Amino acid sequence: MNNYHHKLIAVILFVALLLVICTSLSAGQYDLSFMQVVAWFFHKMGLPFLENINVTEQQEAVLMFIRSPRTVVGLLVGAGLAASGAVLQGLFSNPLADPGIIGVSSGATFGAVIAIIIGINSTSLVGLPISAFIGAVIAVSLTIGLATRHGRIPVLTLLLAGVVVGMLFSALTAAMLTIMDDHKVQQYLFWTIGSLDYRRWEHVFMGVVPISLGIIIMMLMARHLNILALGEAEAKAVGMNVTKFRLILLAVATMTTASSVCITGSIGFVGLIIPHMMRMLVGPNHRHLLPASMVGGAVFLVFCDAVGRMLLPNSEINVGIMTAVLGTPYFLYLLRKNMDIR
Amino acid sequence: MSLMKKILSVKNITTGYDKNIIITNASFDVNPGEFIGIIGKNGAGKSTLLKSLRGFLPLVKGSITLFGKELKSYSQRELAVQIAYLQQQVEMTFDYTARDMVMAGRYPYKKWWEQSSDSDADIVDACMQYTGVMELANTPIRAMSGGQRQRVYLAKVLAQQTHVLFLDEPASGLDLFYQEEIFRFCQEMCKYGKTVIMVVHELNLAARYCSRLMLLKEGNIIADGNPGDVLTDELLTEAYGVDIRSLINKETGHVDIFTVPAPDDSRKKELIKTIIGDKHNHGKAVAYE
Repeated sequence: MNNYHHKLIAVILFVALLLVICTSLSAGQYDLSFMQVVAWFFHKMGLPFLENINVTEQQEAVLMFIRSPRTVVGLLVGAGLAASGAVLQGLFSNPLADPGIIGVSSGATFGAVIAIIIGINSTSLVGLPISAFIGAVIAVSLTIGLATRHGRIPVLTLLLAGVVVGMLFSALTAAMLTIMDDHKVQQYLFWTIGSLDYRRWEHVFMGVVPISLGIIIMMLMARHLNILALGEAEAKAVGMNVTKFRLILLAVATMTTASSVCITGSIGFVGLIIPHMMRMLVGPNHRHLLPASMVGGAVFLVFCDAVGRMLLPNSEINVGIMTAVLGTPYFLYLLRKNMDIR
Repeated sequence: MSLMKKILSVKNITTGYDKNIIITNASFDVNPGEFIGIIGKNGAGKSTLLKSLRGFLPLVKGSITLFGKELKSYSQRELAVQIAYLQQQVEMTFDYTARDMVMAGRYPYKKWWEQSSDSDADIVDACMQYTGVMELANTPIRAMSGGQRQRVYLAKVLAQQTHVLFLDEPASGLDLFYQEEIFRFCQEMCKYGKTVIMVVHELNLAARYCSRLMLLKEGNIIADGNPGDVLTDELLTEAYGVDIRSLINKETGHVDIFTVPAPDDSRKKELIKTIIGDKHNHGKAVAYE
C-alpha cells in the first residue's frame, strides 16, 4: 500500500461520490435527468457549462426541498455509520464488530417505540430522534457498565454484554409492540426498516453537528486506534491507558451511530461491510481507513437509496432493505476472496 | 559500592494473578549493561516475574524501584519510555505492516494529539535495517514467517529507545539461526549500555550469551549469578525435576546441557507395547525387552 495507491483510491472514491450524488438527485418518480442535475449544479455555481439544458422551477423545487435533504441525510448517515463501524472494529480488534453489537440499534429502537407510544413523533419532528438517541445511549451505558470490572473492559465481556443488552431491549420493544395500536405498529415498522424517505433539511440540521463532530474526533484519534487495534497487551506495552481510550472512542462512536440511527432508523450492514471493504482497499492503518470508510459509507448508502428508488416503477424500496440485499453478497464475495489468499 | 546506578532494585516481592500467588519473596538488583536470562521449567513463574517487573501485575508484598524511584510512581507512558516489553505471543487481527508495528514503538514519545514525525520515521527505519527487515517494511506481519515476525517485534522494542528491554521467550519456535541471531542482537545492545532481561528456554544459548542467569523453581529464585555458577548439574536437576548434566564441550568450549533419561520400568514397556501394537513389525514378533 504505497502513496500512489492511496491517492488512486481517494480519486476513485471521490468520483464515485460525485456520480452517486447526481444519480440520487435524479432518481425518483418526478422526472429529472442526470444531465439536468449536473446542469443545475453548474447553473447554481455560475459556471458557463451546459447552458442549453433547462431546469424548470418545479424541478428545482423538487431538487431543493425533497431530493437534496434526502441525499445529504444519506451522505451523513452513511459516513457516520461506516466510520463508527471502523472505529469499533479497531477498538475491539475484531473485524466482525459493528455499531449494533454494543446495543446502539436495539436501544435506539426501544427509544423510538416509546416515542411512538407517547405520540411525540406526530407532534414534533425531533421527538422520535431524540427519544431514539436517549435509548441508544442508555443501552450502550448499560453494556459498558456490565462489562467493566476493576477499571478494565475486557473485549469478550463487552461483546457478550452487548448481546445481552441487545436482547433485553429487543424484548422490551416486543413487549411494547404487543400493547400498541395497529397504526402505531405500522409506524414502528416503517421506522425500524430504516429509510431516507421524507427526510427534510430539519433532519440534516439535527444530524450534521453530532455526526461531523464525531467523525472529526475519530479521525484525530486514528493513531491511538492503530495502537488499540494491535490488542490490549501490545497497547499496554507501549504505555497506553487502554481503558481510557476505549471509553473515549466508544463514547464518540456511540454518539455518532446514535445520531445517525435516530434520524433514519436502523440501517444494517453499512457499519460492518464498508470498513471491511475499505480495509482490503487501503489497509488497516486508521489514518487511511477512517477517511476511506467515511466516503465509502456515504457512497454506498446513497447508492442503495437511489437504486431503491429506480427499481420499481411506482414505489420505493427502503434503503435498509437495499443495504442488506446489496451488502450480503458482496460481503460474502469479499470473505471468500480473502480466504483464498490465505 | 558500585559507582554505577542500579537499574532495578527488587526487594522481597510477592506477586501473581489476583489471589493466585506465583512469585514469593524475590529479591535482586539489576545493573546497567547486564544481559540476564530467566530460566526454569514451564510454570516456574518466569513470565510472571517479567510482567511484575514491568508493573503489569500488582505486588502483594515488597517493592520494586526503577532508577531509584518506586515503579508504582511512574505513569504508564513514563514506564514505556524506560522499559520496552515484548510479550510472548502477539496475536494480530488486522494486516498491519512491519512499518506500522515498529512505528507503534514510538507511541509513548508522542503527546496524544501529535502525529508521527520525520525523526520517528528515521528511528523506525534504522531499527528495521538493524534487525534486517527493511525489505519487509510494507509486508503484512500475518504474511511473515516466525523468524521474520520476531525480528519485526525486536525492531519495535528497539524503536521504543528504552534503557531496558524485557523479552518474553523471543526465540521460541524459531529456526536455529534466528534463535542465535536474537541472542546476538541482545548481546550487542548490552555492549552499548542497554540492559536486557529475557525469559529463555534455550539453555545452551543462554549459557553462551547471557552475562547472568536467574534460575526459578516454583516461584522462587534458587540461583542467580554467572552462567557457569548457575548451570550446574545439581541446580538444574533440582529446578527441572529431571536428571540434567551440564558439560563443557572440549571442541567448541560451549556448555552442553542435556537430560539423562530415567531408566525404563515395566509399566512403560507395557505402554509402548500398547502404543506400537503389532502393525509395524510385519508379523514378526518383537521383543519388548
